[in-house]
Amino acid sequence: MDNPPPLQKIAISGATLSSLIHRFSTATSTSSIDGLLFGNLTYVTSLNLSDDSSETSQTLLATVTSFLTSSSFHDTSGKINTSSLRRLIPNSTSLLGWFSGRRRTPLRPSLREFSITSSLSSLFELSSTKPSPNSNSSSSSPNFNPCLFFLLASPISDQTSHIHTHDYRAYQFLTGTNSFNPVSIDIINIGPAFRDHYGSFIPNSPFPTLDCQLSYSPMIRDDDDERLSKMKQASKDQMELDACVEGLEVGRLSKLMGSEAKNYTQSLEDLYLKMLVKIENLTTLVEQSSARVLEQEFVMLLSTEGEGREAHLCMPINANQYDEKSQIVALETI
Amino acid sequence: MGVGTDNVPPFIAAHLSHLLSHSRLSLKVDQMWSSDKYNFGFIDRFTLLIPYCLDFIKWDVIYDAESPTTPPDVIFGPEDEHFHPFHMTTSAQPDDNINSLFSDWNYKDPARLLALIQFLRDQYVLYQGKRIGEVDDDRLKFEVSTIVSREGLEMHMSSAADKSEEVKFAVPLLDMNINKMVSGCPWRQLQKIYLQVVYPVGRKYMSASSAPRLKLVSSSELKALYSIDDVKLPHWVDGMCLAEYLPNLEEHLGKQVLEAVSLIDVRRHFIEALSGSLGRPVEADPIFCRKATFLSASGVFTFLVHFLIPSQFPKQQPAIILQSSQHFNSQMAPMKSRPISDYPWSPRWELLLMAERTCEFLADEALNFKRQCSEGQVQL
Repeated sequence: MDNPPPLQKIAISGATLSSLIHRFSTATSTSSIDGLLFGNLTYVTSLNLSDDSSETSQTLLATVTSFLTSSSFHDTSGKINTSSLRRLIPNSTSLLGWFSGRRRTPLRPSLREFSITSSLSSLFELSSTKPSPNSNSSSSSPNFNPCLFFLLASPISDQTSHIHTHDYRAYQFLTGTNSFNPVSIDIINIGPAFRDHYGSFIPNSPFPTLDCQLSYSPMIRDDDDERLSKMKQASKDQMELDACVEGLEVGRLSKLMGSEAKNYTQSLEDLYLKMLVKIENLTTLVEQSSARVLEQEFVMLLSTEGEGREAHLCMPINANQYDEKSQIVALETI
Repeated sequence: MGVGTDNVPPFIAAHLSHLLSHSRLSLKVDQMWSSDKYNFGFIDRFTLLIPYCLDFIKWDVIYDAESPTTPPDVIFGPEDEHFHPFHMTTSAQPDDNINSLFSDWNYKDPARLLALIQFLRDQYVLYQGKRIGEVDDDRLKFEVSTIVSREGLEMHMSSAADKSEEVKFAVPLLDMNINKMVSGCPWRQLQKIYLQVVYPVGRKYMSASSAPRLKLVSSSELKALYSIDDVKLPHWVDGMCLAEYLPNLEEHLGKQVLEAVSLIDVRRHFIEALSGSLGRPVEADPIFCRKATFLSASGVFTFLVHFLIPSQFPKQQPAIILQSSQHFNSQMAPMKSRPISDYPWSPRWELLLMAERTCEFLADEALNFKRQCSEGQVQL
């Protein structure tokens, strides 16, 4: 396997970096944290305009978009536990490398960090796909191994002050020479200097886990009749809802995450379409019934013309109420 | 050293005290601190000063007091960023050593840290040797090839950004065990004399090779027997190499060390000769015989006589300090004379004659000293 291309720089959004530092500085149980870094790779084309020739040069840029704090992917000797590492990597995100934060230590990679980075970098099967220079074509070469190492540390001599300092440094591990190559970090911010980053920015954040179960806490063991009847009512409502959705339970919404999402959205859209048709039908029904009511009202007005203004005022209000009610019923039956 | 601090968790304290007391090198702890943000917590990190090539290398040992079962991590010095002890072998697979050191780490075994540090230092010796082997300098390559077989040779390459590159050798001299030559030897470490050789790394465009900087180094403990400060190094002739230089130097030093050992007995006999007229010494250095103190009296005036005997005795005469037992200064410390070393003396005298003439001088000097004490200070 050939060496990964050298990184020009690493970009990290201010929010991700601050969240990382926050995680590091508030870790109370241990004096060190570590975890994985996810993100994407892009080619940045910079244009060098000069008199004799205008040539473009392409450089590789790694954008860190998210991280996961977990040290279960390695053991204390720096060996990588591949199976638990795979479990930690979400679908459709690429692993760029890992980070380590340790309090009150020098800002230099340690013995163990070197071992872990070296082992992680040699896992070529976890290589993320690097976009080929012609980003339109789908032929991408999978040769960027997870070789990024982000080190966080706080200074040793920082005792009495209430200002906390956090230092950080990023490295790319070069497997060929077995060495760390320091890489500069860009913090993506608003401003003309970062317009490039925004252009190529792909938002990539894990979808929150939906709690799709209609459940009551098993801890509440209250034999109150009222509660029981409420529960019964709720399950009845649920059954009615389930009947409406024609087999598409709420639980299956979780399929919207992950790789099958594409196929699933189609069936969901079909369901919505059917529901819209139903609603349309209902509204026409409501319209017709209100027209009939108006007709009857008119007839009544003609027959009881002497009875005074009250009835005259009353009827349209009643009609309105009816209208609303039928709409509510319609919605409930969807 | 700070090892007695209460805040060190017992398992770290056990590792550390075993390391410091059982290492064949004299390791030191430079600094100890806590991982806690406010430095209130357990002390679980420290900087070790490890002797290497007549200097120290600083390694930070990082424990985590919260998880004692985790083996410590080590951060090497800033100039050793390419030192990767577990990736020294040329094969892609790292050594199995890391497994034996870390995987079955047992924090209850106090010897583990010592084993780790010793392993890392052995690797460091190899690492420096490898670095120097990569230097493209023919003269250096030749010099290394002639001395590399010496046991205990250490090499170091300094590559500070602000300095030009240079290679340092610590060449152990004299294949003799000085500790065994001294009866009742108090030294824990094996005493060695080293020649420090500093070569500037040759640049291709520099034609003339400059002479290396040479310096003899020994531990300060050896000074009790033999001071290398008095040694005049043989001259380095242009175009010389270490292989030519070292045998002469070793021969010269070997003779001097043997002589220094034999001089212990001469000093002992001198102290014995003094006791003929001054009585048994109150206190004396029994191993190197460099110090002796006698109690003496001139009339009713009692005083102590301290003899400080140089390692070059009898070529150099002893320094004498008189200390009154009856006069005190304002801080309630006993009055002392300045060290006297200008009394009549000849290195060619017999030991008994030396003792005799010294006592004659003391009889006169005691009266002088008594007068100084009485005039200068209030008698208590």
